[in-house]
Amino acid sequence: MERNEITNVTSSRLTSVLTDIHFWVPVAVLLAGLLLLKFIR
Amino acid sequence: MASVEMPRGSLPVQNTSRAKKLQYLGILSGFTAGAWLGAAEAPTKLVTIGIPPMVISLIMVIGVFLARWSLPALILGTSSVRADVRRAPHLIIWAVLAGCLWAVANTLTIFAIRDIGLSIAFPLWNSNSLLGIFWGFFFFNELRQAGWRRWTGVLGGALVMCAGATLLAIASSTQAPAGHSLRGVWAALGAGILWGTMYIPYRKAYLTGMNPLSFITFFTFGELGMMSALAVSYTGLSPLWQELTSARSVIFWLMLGGFIWVIGDLFQQYAAKYVGISRGIPLSNSNQLWGLLWGIFVFGELHGRSSSTYLQVIGGSLLMMLGVGAIAFSSAAADEQARWKEAAQREVRRYGVEADYVEARMNGRQAADELVKPSRSAWDWLLVAGASGIFVLFAAIARVPQMSLHWGPVALLIAALLLLLLICGLALWRTTRFN
Repeated sequence: MERNEITNVTSSRLTSVLTDIHFWVPVAVLLAGLLLLKFIR
Repeated sequence: MASVEMPRGSLPVQNTSRAKKLQYLGILSGFTAGAWLGAAEAPTKLVTIGIPPMVISLIMVIGVFLARWSLPALILGTSSVRADVRRAPHLIIWAVLAGCLWAVANTLTIFAIRDIGLSIAFPLWNSNSLLGIFWGFFFFNELRQAGWRRWTGVLGGALVMCAGATLLAIASSTQAPAGHSLRGVWAALGAGILWGTMYIPYRKAYLTGMNPLSFITFFTFGELGMMSALAVSYTGLSPLWQELTSARSVIFWLMLGGFIWVIGDLFQQYAAKYVGISRGIPLSNSNQLWGLLWGIFVFGELHGRSSSTYLQVIGGSLLMMLGVGAIAFSSAAADEQARWKEAAQREVRRYGVEADYVEARMNGRQAADELVKPSRSAWDWLLVAGASGIFVLFAAIARVPQMSLHWGPVALLIAALLLLLLICGLALWRTTRFN
């Protein structure tokens, strides 16, 4: 029972992270930065 | 759960005076951050042998990693870090993400300096403060209902600082652009965008109430992990190890640079927490001015240069100080701070963080249900002793560089650093107990 609650809280937190624009903007910029590094090497 | 009880009538007055105090504290933290971040360049200048820039960065980041774990353990204890993480575990993702952004940006600056020289590259990546202002406004309600006077102070101050930084970079640059100019421009702009975006995780963490000491301990995993991955992919594991072993006599100086940088960065985090990223970041960007003071007075870098170079230095320094002053006098008023609280409420609702905790931490206080006094365990002392031991080990095998240094200015600058550390550290302790 308690384990189920913990799993639910964790998965809802993960959903909150993955639907947060504050997460995707830095991720997109990081990926773009890595791509840029690859090209200018 | 309830926050600390106060008589009703006195609440608004006390809150206003507390908010003002925290604003001054944020501004002081920004100044102190600039001084310490600038001083971090000094030990690296002692390293004159030909070590690849990627290896220099990696060694500095190792020093940073040690400092980022031992300082929080020493100041508050890792129990406080664990308690913070239990309240807002999702922020670990943002801390690691911010560390990765920092490492990629730092690597891009190496290519930018190589391809277009410091004088062109620096102003381009220094644009990070302008992007920080934009993200602060767009995502976190900074500068909302701030009025045109504060807008002019912050934006104008940041632009004036960029102009001053350009003059200083031109004056201090000795490198000629070495071709590949477009590639260098992209690298410098990319670094600026990555660093500017790195402030999104910063602000998010501090609006949610996380202690900067907790944030940096997880930030450094992203930083060291990404830097190691980049160094290995660029140099290869075996050549990298050879470079590291052949550089062992200077590892101490580079790690010391990383350690000093962490102290500066810690104050930068407190500035971001109490005055927001739109003001805190430009203030701590005054590090270039301090770096130049070390370069000119300690290492005699501009010795024998033309009078126009000195004029550029004086003009650039005055512009930097003017910009810093403009931002410092544009602290957030009550209306704007109310909008910050709205941004904090979004985090409360979205991630289910306790509202009392967020409110107390925004005011630089502990929540009512937190331990009154942070405690340090044997594990904390072990961490501090381990990190100190590694520094002592590398200090013992360090080679003292054969350089002529001007010891008078060294003493003066170190005294200024320690004085700022003492004043700002005490102010933070008295007002917030580092919360």
